[in-house]
Amino acid sequence: MSFVIEADDCERKTGLPMRGMRLIFCGGAVLLAGGCIQVKAPEKPIEINLNVNVKQEVVVRLQKDAQEFITENPELFPQ
Amino acid sequence: MTRKTKLSFIAMAAAAALGMAGYAWAQAGDAALTAAIAAGQVGEQSDGYLGVAKPVGADVRAAVESLNIKRRAAYTDQAAKHGVALREWAATVGCQTLRGRVKPGQAYLLPDGVWRVKDSSPIALPANCG
Repeated sequence: MSFVIEADDCERKTGLPMRGMRLIFCGGAVLLAGGCIQVKAPEKPIEINLNVNVKQEVVVRLQKDAQEFITENPELFPQ
Repeated sequence: MTRKTKLSFIAMAAAAALGMAGYAWAQAGDAALTAAIAAGQVGEQSDGYLGVAKPVGADVRAAVESLNIKRRAAYTDQAAKHGVALREWAATVGCQTLRGRVKPGQAYLLPDGVWRVKDSSPIALPANCG
Protein backbone atom coordinates (compact mmCIF):
# COMPACT_ATOMS: atom_id res chain seq x y z
CA MET A 1 0.00 0.00 0.00
CA SER A 2 2.74 2.37 0.92
CA PHE A 3 4.56 1.58 -2.37
CA VAL A 4 1.54 2.70 -4.41
CA ILE A 5 1.41 5.96 -2.56
CA GLU A 6 5.13 6.52 -3.17
CA ALA A 7 4.87 5.63 -6.86
CA ASP A 8 1.99 8.03 -7.31
CA ASP A 9 4.00 10.66 -5.58
CA CYS A 10 6.91 10.09 -7.96
CA GLU A 11 4.68 10.14 -11.02
CA ARG A 12 3.22 13.42 -9.99
CA LYS A 13 6.63 14.96 -9.43
CA THR A 14 8.31 13.82 -12.67
CA GLY A 15 5.29 13.70 -14.93
CA LEU A 16 6.54 10.35 -16.32
CA PRO A 17 4.21 7.39 -16.73
CA MET A 18 5.31 4.16 -15.00
CA ARG A 19 5.52 1.77 -17.94
CA GLY A 20 7.71 -0.11 -20.39
CA MET A 21 11.36 -0.99 -19.70
CA ARG A 22 11.94 2.14 -17.63
CA LEU A 23 12.72 1.29 -14.06
CA ILE A 24 11.92 3.95 -11.55
CA PHE A 25 12.91 3.43 -7.97
CA CYS A 26 11.52 5.78 -5.43
CA GLY A 27 12.84 4.82 -2.03
CA GLY A 28 11.41 6.27 1.12
CA ALA A 29 14.68 8.00 1.97
CA VAL A 30 14.93 9.49 -1.50
CA LEU A 31 11.35 10.73 -1.28
CA LEU A 32 12.18 12.42 1.98
CA ALA A 33 14.97 14.26 0.16
CA GLY A 34 12.52 15.17 -2.54
CA GLY A 35 14.35 13.26 -5.33
CA CYS A 36 13.67 10.36 -7.67
CA ILE A 37 16.28 8.03 -9.20
CA GLN A 38 15.93 6.26 -12.54
CA VAL A 39 17.95 3.17 -13.35
CA LYS A 40 18.14 1.90 -16.92
CA ALA A 41 19.33 -1.53 -17.92
CA PRO A 42 22.12 -1.40 -20.57
CA GLU A 43 20.86 -1.98 -24.09
CA LYS A 44 23.89 -3.96 -25.32
CA PRO A 45 25.38 -7.01 -23.63
CA ILE A 46 28.74 -6.28 -22.00
CA GLU A 47 31.56 -8.23 -23.64
CA ILE A 48 34.83 -8.75 -21.81
CA ASN A 49 37.61 -11.01 -23.00
CA LEU A 50 38.59 -12.21 -19.54
CA ASN A 51 41.27 -14.58 -20.74
CA VAL A 52 43.48 -11.89 -22.23
CA ASN A 53 42.64 -9.01 -19.90
CA VAL A 54 43.22 -10.83 -16.65
CA LYS A 55 46.45 -12.27 -17.89
CA GLN A 56 47.85 -8.96 -19.05
CA GLU A 57 46.88 -7.40 -15.73
CA VAL A 58 48.73 -10.19 -13.93
CA VAL A 59 51.78 -9.93 -16.16
CA VAL A 60 52.09 -6.17 -15.75
CA ARG A 61 51.65 -6.43 -11.97
CA LEU A 62 54.31 -9.15 -11.63
CA GLN A 63 56.87 -7.82 -14.12
CA LYS A 64 59.23 -6.36 -11.55
CA ASP A 65 59.11 -9.45 -9.34
CA ALA A 66 59.75 -11.68 -12.37
CA GLN A 67 62.80 -9.64 -13.33
CA GLU A 68 64.17 -9.92 -9.79
CA PHE A 69 63.48 -13.65 -9.83
CA ILE A 70 65.55 -14.03 -13.02
CA THR A 71 68.41 -11.95 -11.61
CA GLU A 72 68.42 -13.95 -8.38
CA ASN A 73 68.36 -17.33 -10.15
CA PRO A 74 70.89 -16.99 -12.99
CA GLU A 75 71.53 -20.76 -13.01
CA LEU A 76 67.96 -21.23 -14.30
CA PHE A 77 68.53 -18.80 -17.16
CA PRO A 78 71.76 -19.62 -18.99
CA GLN A 79 72.70 -17.27 -21.80
CA MET B 1 95.44 -49.56 10.01
CA THR B 2 92.64 -51.99 10.65
CA ARG B 3 90.66 -53.67 7.94
CA LYS B 4 87.55 -51.69 8.90
CA THR B 5 89.39 -48.37 8.54
CA LYS B 6 90.75 -49.40 5.15
CA LEU B 7 87.26 -50.27 3.95
CA SER B 8 85.83 -46.97 5.05
CA PHE B 9 88.65 -45.12 3.27
CA ILE B 10 87.88 -47.00 0.07
CA ALA B 11 84.17 -46.20 0.43
CA MET B 12 84.89 -42.50 0.94
CA ALA B 13 87.20 -42.37 -2.07
CA ALA B 14 84.58 -44.11 -4.22
CA ALA B 15 81.88 -41.68 -3.10
CA ALA B 16 84.12 -38.70 -3.85
CA ALA B 17 84.95 -40.06 -7.29
CA LEU B 18 81.26 -40.63 -8.07
CA GLY B 19 80.39 -37.14 -6.89
CA MET B 20 83.09 -35.58 -9.03
CA ALA B 21 82.03 -37.61 -12.05
CA GLY B 22 78.43 -36.51 -11.57
CA TYR B 23 79.50 -32.90 -11.21
CA ALA B 24 81.69 -33.12 -14.32
CA TRP B 25 78.79 -34.67 -16.25
CA ALA B 26 76.44 -31.88 -15.18
CA GLN B 27 79.04 -29.27 -16.11
CA ALA B 28 79.48 -30.84 -19.54
CA GLY B 29 75.70 -30.76 -20.05
CA ASP B 30 75.58 -27.10 -19.02
CA ALA B 31 78.40 -26.23 -21.40
CA ALA B 32 76.65 -28.05 -24.27
CA LEU B 33 73.42 -26.22 -23.41
CA THR B 34 75.13 -22.81 -23.36
CA ALA B 35 76.73 -23.57 -26.71
CA ALA B 36 73.38 -24.65 -28.18
CA ILE B 37 71.74 -21.43 -26.97
CA ALA B 38 74.54 -19.33 -28.48
CA ALA B 39 74.13 -21.24 -31.75
CA GLY B 40 70.38 -20.60 -31.86
CA GLN B 41 69.53 -24.30 -31.55
CA VAL B 42 67.90 -23.88 -28.15
CA GLY B 43 66.00 -20.78 -27.14
CA GLU B 44 63.57 -19.08 -24.79
CA GLN B 45 59.83 -19.49 -25.28
CA SER B 46 57.16 -16.94 -24.44
CA ASP B 47 55.65 -19.48 -22.02
CA GLY B 48 58.70 -19.13 -19.75
CA TYR B 49 60.48 -22.36 -20.64
CA LEU B 50 63.39 -23.33 -22.86
CA GLY B 51 62.68 -25.05 -26.15
CA VAL B 52 64.53 -26.80 -28.94
CA ALA B 53 64.47 -24.79 -32.16
CA LYS B 54 66.72 -27.00 -34.29
CA PRO B 55 67.80 -30.65 -34.06
CA VAL B 56 70.22 -31.18 -31.17
CA GLY B 57 72.02 -34.08 -29.53
CA ALA B 58 70.58 -36.18 -26.74
CA ASP B 59 72.82 -34.47 -24.15
CA VAL B 60 71.47 -31.02 -25.03
CA ARG B 61 67.89 -32.26 -25.12
CA ALA B 62 68.36 -33.81 -21.67
CA ALA B 63 69.86 -30.56 -20.36
CA VAL B 64 66.86 -28.58 -21.67
CA GLU B 65 64.41 -30.97 -20.03
CA SER B 66 66.34 -30.94 -16.77
CA LEU B 67 66.46 -27.15 -16.67
CA ASN B 68 62.75 -26.88 -17.47
CA ILE B 69 61.94 -29.20 -14.56
CA LYS B 70 63.98 -26.94 -12.27
CA ARG B 71 62.25 -23.87 -13.67
CA ARG B 72 58.81 -25.40 -13.17
CA ALA B 73 59.64 -26.20 -9.55
CA ALA B 74 60.80 -22.63 -8.92
CA TYR B 75 57.83 -21.18 -10.85
CA THR B 76 55.38 -23.27 -8.79
CA ASP B 77 56.87 -21.78 -5.63
CA GLN B 78 56.75 -18.21 -6.98
CA ALA B 79 53.22 -18.57 -8.37
CA ALA B 80 51.98 -19.65 -4.95
CA LYS B 81 53.79 -16.74 -3.27
CA HIS B 82 52.19 -14.26 -5.67
CA GLY B 83 48.78 -15.91 -5.65
CA VAL B 84 48.66 -16.54 -9.40
CA ALA B 85 48.49 -19.61 -11.61
CA LEU B 86 51.73 -21.39 -12.52
CA ARG B 87 51.06 -20.63 -16.20
CA GLU B 88 50.66 -16.92 -15.44
CA TRP B 89 53.91 -16.63 -13.48
CA ALA B 90 55.75 -18.63 -16.16
CA ALA B 91 54.41 -16.37 -18.93
CA THR B 92 55.46 -13.27 -16.95
CA VAL B 93 59.00 -14.64 -16.72
CA GLY B 94 58.77 -15.46 -20.44
CA CYS B 95 58.00 -11.80 -21.20
CA GLN B 96 61.08 -10.75 -19.25
CA THR B 97 63.44 -13.27 -20.86
CA LEU B 98 62.26 -12.23 -24.34
CA ARG B 99 62.53 -8.57 -23.34
CA GLY B 100 66.03 -8.66 -21.89
CA ARG B 101 67.93 -11.94 -22.01
CA VAL B 102 67.71 -13.16 -25.60
CA LYS B 103 70.73 -11.83 -27.49
CA PRO B 104 71.09 -11.21 -31.24
CA GLY B 105 71.63 -14.50 -33.06
CA GLN B 106 69.72 -16.50 -30.45
CA ALA B 107 66.41 -18.23 -31.14
CA TYR B 108 63.07 -17.46 -29.45
CA LEU B 109 59.53 -18.77 -29.74
CA LEU B 110 56.37 -16.62 -29.71
CA PRO B 111 52.83 -17.88 -29.03
CA ASP B 112 52.30 -18.29 -32.80
CA GLY B 113 54.59 -21.33 -32.64
CA VAL B 114 57.23 -19.92 -35.01
CA TRP B 115 60.89 -19.96 -33.99
CA ARG B 116 62.65 -16.73 -34.93
CA VAL B 117 66.20 -15.49 -34.56
CA LYS B 118 66.74 -12.26 -32.65
CA ASP B 119 68.32 -9.44 -34.63
CA SER B 120 69.43 -6.02 -33.36
CA SER B 121 65.85 -4.74 -32.91
CA PRO B 122 63.75 -5.58 -29.83
CA ILE B 123 61.52 -8.65 -30.00
CA ALA B 124 57.86 -7.91 -30.81
CA LEU B 125 56.46 -9.14 -27.50
CA PRO B 126 53.08 -10.88 -27.14
CA ALA B 127 50.20 -8.48 -26.36
CA ASN B 128 49.81 -9.77 -22.81
CA CYS B 129 53.35 -8.72 -21.91
CA GLY B 130 51.92 -5.20 -21.54
